[in-house]
Amino acid sequence: MQFIGPLCKRVKSEYMRLRQLKRFRKAEEIKALFQSNRRKIEGRTELLNEEWSKLRIQSIPLSTTSGSLPSKKLCMVESGFPSFPYQAVAMRPLTTVAGIPFMYSWSPLQQNFMVEDETFLHNIPYMGDEVLEQDEAFLEELIDNYDGVHGDRGEAGQTCLFIQFVLGQYPFCFKSQIQDNADFSLAFPSLGRELSANKKIPHDKIFTAIASMFPYKGTMEELKDKYKDLLEPSSPVKLPPLCTPNMDGPLAKSVQREQSLHSFHTLFCRRCFKYDCFLHPFHASPNVYKRKNKEIRMETEPCGLDCFLLQVQLSEYITISYVFLLKFADQNMQSSQRPRRRRRQPRPSSSCGPTPSGFCEEGKEGGSDHETTSSSEGNSQCPSPAKLRPGEEGAEESESPPQWSGAEESLFRVLHGTYYNNFCSIARLIGTKTCREVYEFAVKEVLIHHVPLEDGGISPQKKKRKHSLCSERIVLISLSICLTDNSSNQVYNYQPCDHPEHPCDSSCSCVMTQNFCEKFCQCDQECQNRFPGCRCKTQCNTKQCPCYLAVRECDPDLCMTCGAADHWDSKQVSCKNCSIQRGLKKHLLLAPSDVAGWGTFIKEPVQKNELISEYCGELISQDEADRRGRIYDKYMSSFLFNLNNDFVVDATRKGNKIRFANHSVNPNCYAKVVMVNGDHRIGIFAKRAIQRGEELFFDYRYSQADALKYVGIEREIDIV
Amino acid sequence: MAPQKHGSGGNGFYANSGASKAANGGAHVSSGVVMTSVKRPKMEQVQTDHELFLQAFEKPTQIYRFLRTRNIIAPIFLHRSLTYMSHRNSRTNSKRKCFSVNDLLFKAEKSKVDQESHNMASNLQLTFTGFFHKTEKPLQNSENEENSVSVEVLLVKVCHKKRKDVSCPVKQVPTGKKQVPLNPDSSQIKLGAFPTLIVPSQEFEPSNGHMVKSYSLLFRVSRPGGREHNGVTTRDTSMNVMEELSNRKKRYCSNQDDGETIFVAQMTVFDKNRRLQLLDGEYEVSMQEIEESPVGKKRATWETILDGKWLPPFETFSQGPTLQFTLRWTNDTADRGTAPVAKPLATRNSESSTVDSGKPSNVKPPHAVAVSESVGADLPVRREQTHVEPRQKLRVYYQFLYNNNARQQTEARDDLHCPWCTLNCRKLYSLLKHLKLSHSRFIFNYVPHPKGARIDVSINECYDGSYVGNPQDIHCQPGFAFSRNGPVKRTPVTHFLVCRPKRSKPSLSEFLEPEDGEQEQQRTYISGHNRLYFHSDSCTPLRPQEMDVDSEDETDPAWLREKTVMQIDEFTDVNEGEKEVMKLWNLHVMKHGFIADNQMNQACLLFVEQHSTTIIEKNLCRNILLHLVSMHDFGLVNTGTIDKAMAHLKPQKDGQEQAKTQDDADGGSSSSSFHITTLKAQPINFSECRKRTAGHVTTTIQSASSFPVTTLKAQPR
Repeated sequence: MQFIGPLCKRVKSEYMRLRQLKRFRKAEEIKALFQSNRRKIEGRTELLNEEWSKLRIQSIPLSTTSGSLPSKKLCMVESGFPSFPYQAVAMRPLTTVAGIPFMYSWSPLQQNFMVEDETFLHNIPYMGDEVLEQDEAFLEELIDNYDGVHGDRGEAGQTCLFIQFVLGQYPFCFKSQIQDNADFSLAFPSLGRELSANKKIPHDKIFTAIASMFPYKGTMEELKDKYKDLLEPSSPVKLPPLCTPNMDGPLAKSVQREQSLHSFHTLFCRRCFKYDCFLHPFHASPNVYKRKNKEIRMETEPCGLDCFLLQVQLSEYITISYVFLLKFADQNMQSSQRPRRRRRQPRPSSSCGPTPSGFCEEGKEGGSDHETTSSSEGNSQCPSPAKLRPGEEGAEESESPPQWSGAEESLFRVLHGTYYNNFCSIARLIGTKTCREVYEFAVKEVLIHHVPLEDGGISPQKKKRKHSLCSERIVLISLSICLTDNSSNQVYNYQPCDHPEHPCDSSCSCVMTQNFCEKFCQCDQECQNRFPGCRCKTQCNTKQCPCYLAVRECDPDLCMTCGAADHWDSKQVSCKNCSIQRGLKKHLLLAPSDVAGWGTFIKEPVQKNELISEYCGELISQDEADRRGRIYDKYMSSFLFNLNNDFVVDATRKGNKIRFANHSVNPNCYAKVVMVNGDHRIGIFAKRAIQRGEELFFDYRYSQADALKYVGIEREIDIV
Repeated sequence: MAPQKHGSGGNGFYANSGASKAANGGAHVSSGVVMTSVKRPKMEQVQTDHELFLQAFEKPTQIYRFLRTRNIIAPIFLHRSLTYMSHRNSRTNSKRKCFSVNDLLFKAEKSKVDQESHNMASNLQLTFTGFFHKTEKPLQNSENEENSVSVEVLLVKVCHKKRKDVSCPVKQVPTGKKQVPLNPDSSQIKLGAFPTLIVPSQEFEPSNGHMVKSYSLLFRVSRPGGREHNGVTTRDTSMNVMEELSNRKKRYCSNQDDGETIFVAQMTVFDKNRRLQLLDGEYEVSMQEIEESPVGKKRATWETILDGKWLPPFETFSQGPTLQFTLRWTNDTADRGTAPVAKPLATRNSESSTVDSGKPSNVKPPHAVAVSESVGADLPVRREQTHVEPRQKLRVYYQFLYNNNARQQTEARDDLHCPWCTLNCRKLYSLLKHLKLSHSRFIFNYVPHPKGARIDVSINECYDGSYVGNPQDIHCQPGFAFSRNGPVKRTPVTHFLVCRPKRSKPSLSEFLEPEDGEQEQQRTYISGHNRLYFHSDSCTPLRPQEMDVDSEDETDPAWLREKTVMQIDEFTDVNEGEKEVMKLWNLHVMKHGFIADNQMNQACLLFVEQHSTTIIEKNLCRNILLHLVSMHDFGLVNTGTIDKAMAHLKPQKDGQEQAKTQDDADGGSSSSSFHITTLKAQPINFSECRKRTAGHVTTTIQSASSFPVTTLKAQPR
């Protein structure tokens, strides 16, 4: 215990040093960030200036200084020192410019954007000094609504410091204890690493010293435990176990198909066609999707002179393919007859021809014997080059047995899941192997990897983000809400149903929420709850169109006759009921309103019932809308728009120009919530013919979600 | 445009009709106040009420007074061009009907000739008929004196003032002296016998010494003896009036010998704008007897001349003294008898309407020189007839209402000037229309009245002072419209021009008080882009040339692109290759906005096509393949698309790899034997390959895509 004294001093100084270091590092970070930001701004400014200089605009003439009374219009700067002369510059009066209404900054958006609930209040809203003084109660209530206010010191920063701190004490401690071995005379950083590797706990004395310095942080034992706890998870974090190595990288490993495709499967949004989309918080993986079009093509035509089809006995091929067919049991048995029948293939086998390297290899191997391949076949399942090389016959270098890298193996498994035993195609896609090699590898895989393939399935796991906050995704609608409220005609958000075994009955989420099953649902295509789409040949703008009647936009994958699936490039679509999905909005203009604040004006005249714009914004939950709405009410300006029972569109932070449209009891536009390919979206339509330059108004009070409800009744009757 | 007076008629009207004097002040100010509901006990309240009334009317009145002044200085429109003021337009378009282009030429030629003739060969010939002085008794003096006076004519040239001069230098050029018969009997007159005097044209040449501002003739009649009476002095004022009116006559005084009386008169030949003032004709000039001592400056007083006491100027001519003469501009060579048309040499300030009218009788009266062809006595009568409109004496009562009480009544007799801007409307209908349209801060209601009209004036509570004109005039930004670098787009503005609109017949009934509820909204409704628009992101004004660009047209704003990249980068358990593919794909989808499953095949091919270089550079081929397979797993693409897409990538990739391997081989590095052999084997297989391709084209036509061809081209050798 005699060491405690100097240790304490040491602890203190070390603590100060670390604190300072941290502060310094933070300052550096901020500086770097600031500078990078600065550069970005400069770049943008330069771009703008360049644009400006190209514009064909005469500069606004400034009033000349030589005008009337030049001597009176001088701005003088007098310095206190007598040696400096007075500086004077002519004043240039600028003409007055009319002010514009107030506007808070917002980001442009053309599609809704789902955001998480903010359980932390990011800032105390500022509404002028007077308001804050008056509304103490309001603020308190506001803070109560949230779990906390951003900026409260969390533990995260402290723990890091703590570990560093303890580690910082470490060398010193051992320096003072002379009996120590040489290991610890290492440099500080390496020591840390070693320490974490060895899981060694520093000497108790350190903790005692720390505990004595910071009594409010706990006793020596507590600190020690904490230290152990903190060190524990730090090591596994560094290498995520589920991250498959890059397929194109040098470290690609031989993994199972599911593993290779895991990221793509889990992050892809089947509804937006994007990875990690902004609108749909979780995505069903395709494992549960049944393959709708099982296009399994058998290669019957040899792809070249050296095609495996020519090499391998046909009977053998059939047996092998049969093995595969057994494996993928849903394959129909007709395939055994296929080899004889000549099928018209959309894709020519010739296209594998022009890859000269592949052919060159094939040519060589065609000339050479089978022995190489057969020998490689006999080789071990772990195809490492080192093992393979000795087995070669050294006559020609090109006759090196096919060495299968990890990437190639993984790729084969991936492709095999899609192409089955269409080895020519697989070989072509792999690129580095001939179809014969692929075939041989396949045979081997079947023989050897048959069993591992089966149990190789990896439970689907959600992808993780770095920041724990971000992974806190919105908990989606619970079915309980729907069940309790089933009687009233509420409109619920659509969520693809996923109940693999039984058909869509009363337990199906879609049925319960009174939504149709969409193409995104996992249920059968012949599901009773599916919306059939329309077969209109007209414009789908009357209630004759079932889509229009159901307040749905025509689905380009269902309604094939109305034109919703045609003319992707042009804005002229015969179907008038697909404007929102295609973004066929009108050009809007922004100007100070005739009524209040800003207003939205239309550039070109529109017909009655034409789409003017979609009302876009952040998609927030009803709870979040309540929280935000309380603040917006205080601001006296709200951009909240009820979408359905679960979500609200908030155009405060993100939106488009239609957000500036004002309310009127005698409006020229109306809002309608339309089901667009599985998403509810708000369309603003023309209530009457609108002239160019007119200001747009719609009635805020009446959202046509009610119309959807109304339709809900009709639909129920239809179904029953 | 130069400030335009509202026709000549207005001026004449002012001068001649004595009743119009009230128009100069605000009519309502000058007249008596009629308090309608005065009650004793509420005197104070009434007074404050009255104050309020005055206040309410004061402000608009001041505004309109200011606007009137501004409109006089810089008019934005001419009243005479308004339909309801058409009678103010004295010019007719009747000539336009028979207009032909040749007329222009003719006119130009004629004027040229005139100018030449005037400049070259116009001598001023004066033939004196006689000197008349009625007060004289010719019988008395006839014995001892001759019946003649001597007339001396001097040409007075007023030159431009030079800097050192205090006043304009005046040059008097004597042109001659003649004996003129005194009070000749008009019956005895023989034309040839009269003394004639010629002022040569050279005298009017501008090159004569000083820059001459104006020329005038000074007649000096000296009559021997008999200056007993001062009968003319009363007419002083009248002469002054004439001078005021025409500013062409100046009195001159010069003392002469005691023995003779001297009368003088001056007539302007060319005024300072070098306009010819004296046309051919017979003139009678009233002369002024010169006092012995000239009017000293100390004794000079201001005299009111417009107070109506003066006699009509034409009285002078009945009594004299007057000098009669015939004036002719003669041409030496051609001896043209016609006078040069009075034509403006400098048109800057010309009252073209009067000058152009071409009727000499209309031109001459303002000269204050009685022309002999129209006998002096009846001239004033004629003028009265032309200027005072043939209507009964109208009385207009302005009744000012405040709080529904009449507070003041002002009567204007035979005066149809607008009380606020002193515009002479000349007709009751025009007056009412003008009041209603130009002074809309008040409400005017017409009430028929036996003696004329009553106009109820009240404050317009719902006056809308907002701008109703073309808003572009306000919002147009200087600098945006014009450019030195070439044409610049401007905001299109539509102006409606109505050809012969249906107008209701003017009737006074439209000014009657409208019935309740029938509030006519005459506000013009302007459709179209009549405002200044702003950029939604920066709140800066939208320039006309930016109108057609929708700043929100892009489905993938920059921040959203950055966001998706950041979001994907945040994943910890996704490898770099996957991330890159996902980012590329997301940007691709966002850019093109795919919405349907059946677009996906196309989308994938487009993706590969557009990003092939990036894919190969970043070495992502296999990840792309994974991505495509994953899409296939979702049932969005078919295997054909996968094949096509990968086949598109392959040749480029191979090309690149070969280039790489070649580099390796050249560098002599220890590359694998595998590569070297492929290089060796290349030429042999190349021809084979081509052959094979050709063979396949025949069998599968569909397959003849561009891939094989590009492959062949892509071969390094």
